[in-house]
Amino acid sequence: MKLAERKIGANIVLEVLESRLGADKAVAFKEAVGSYLNDGVVSVVLDLSKVNFIDSSGLGAILSIFKRMPKGSELILCGATDPVTSMFKLTRLDRVFTMKKTVDEAVSALSL
Amino acid sequence: MKAMILAAGKGTRVRPMTHVLPKPMIPLVRKPVMEFLVEHLKANGITEIMVNTSHLAPVIEEYFRDGDRFGVQMAYSFEGDLVDGKIEGKAIGSAGGMKKIQDFSGFFDETFVVLCGDALIDVDFAEVLRFHRERNSIATLVLRDVPPEDVSKYGVVETDASGRIVQFQEKPSREEAVSSTINTGIYIFEPEVLEYIPSGVEFDIGSQLLPELVRSGQSIYGITQPFAWLDIGSVPDYWEATSLLLRGSVAGFTMPGEQIRPGVHCGINVQISWDKVHIEGPVYIGSSTSVGDGATIIGPTVIGSGCVIQPGATVRECILADYTRISSVAVLEQKLIFGSKCIEPSGKYLDIEESQIRWLMDDARNKEDLSEDEQLLLEEVKTLTVS
Repeated sequence: MKLAERKIGANIVLEVLESRLGADKAVAFKEAVGSYLNDGVVSVVLDLSKVNFIDSSGLGAILSIFKRMPKGSELILCGATDPVTSMFKLTRLDRVFTMKKTVDEAVSALSL
Repeated sequence: MKAMILAAGKGTRVRPMTHVLPKPMIPLVRKPVMEFLVEHLKANGITEIMVNTSHLAPVIEEYFRDGDRFGVQMAYSFEGDLVDGKIEGKAIGSAGGMKKIQDFSGFFDETFVVLCGDALIDVDFAEVLRFHRERNSIATLVLRDVPPEDVSKYGVVETDASGRIVQFQEKPSREEAVSSTINTGIYIFEPEVLEYIPSGVEFDIGSQLLPELVRSGQSIYGITQPFAWLDIGSVPDYWEATSLLLRGSVAGFTMPGEQIRPGVHCGINVQISWDKVHIEGPVYIGSSTSVGDGATIIGPTVIGSGCVIQPGATVRECILADYTRISSVAVLEQKLIFGSKCIEPSGKYLDIEESQIRWLMDDARNKEDLSEDEQLLLEEVKTLTVS
């Protein structure tokens, strides 16, 4: 599970370097992002611009990260490609998550 | 007059639908495109129809059979092989298909029409025939004017004042095009043209037969008619065609089923509380379909038969194949659900199996319980999105 990280104060931008977020990567993904939360990261910008396939497991992994975010912190998604956006729109989750087009927009949206 | 419907194509630009159905059998608001065509030919007094088949041939042949259900006589010229018990199509081109039939039985012994099986048309064949006879033509093309920006999709034609064709251009750029009049692939031929087609080889009408006729000094003609032409050559075209039909923009088309109120039609055995569902037409709801309370259906939408729209689901501007189940948490906007694929108007699609979204949309006949993970995910999505 390859992630590129960029710290911004107490927050972090995590770029997913896998092109497929499927059943085989879901658990590793949850654990990888989870470890940053364990280390005291406050808010997370998840850059999904390299991901062109997501299935239910991938979606479930993002949901479980969302549930793990500490109170008062934010999870912002950015760079969603068509297949990813489709999944979120199909489930109405595009109204639950904050989704931005670019990393810069996402970072600006962080209120901390 | 006799006719030949060209139905041997692979329909690559309408994939993934054509993985399962040959293009002429794709339904436009419940009725296969080719059925509209057969009805139109019959209405124009054309009742002996040859059809060349190849890709997924049995689907066509088993639907139309000998044609008597449709008031015509139909027969097929299959182009392909039976390999290891499986039908494999091997098309030989539009003109090749004509020649094969002629070599077999001499079927084309009088003026005949040739047209593609994948477009809805209302060409006035009597008028075309009159024009054809007046000019003593051996080949007459039905032409149509299109917006100049669309010419690169078609074969462009230039005619002189008498309608004689003086130039062909295959898919020219807008700048190079000599006109914005295009060949619709609808022809009237005299049997003589078959002498110009070699036997046993792949041969195409537009790119080979017509230029050969011209090269041999024959005069061929084109008549421009402003007819309705709904072509389903690609997913976006199919979408547009369905939308136009539902909105009543195509003369002569009647919505199937019973009218519940203007713009809303449905079949029989439909389970629905009309006062508990939000529906904005034009919508067609198929027979034996169940629509749960609190569902929202916004047209133009076609819902197939045997579908299940669970309570609270939203279906907006969609085309759902038979036996589609849509889960309560789903919000479908501009989706074509067909053959376990969720297809966008652009033609891009998600594979329901591959994406594991059975909990969102599935075959309504699938009684298999969702896996534990799928159940959990469904519950989580419900919880998050209910507010």
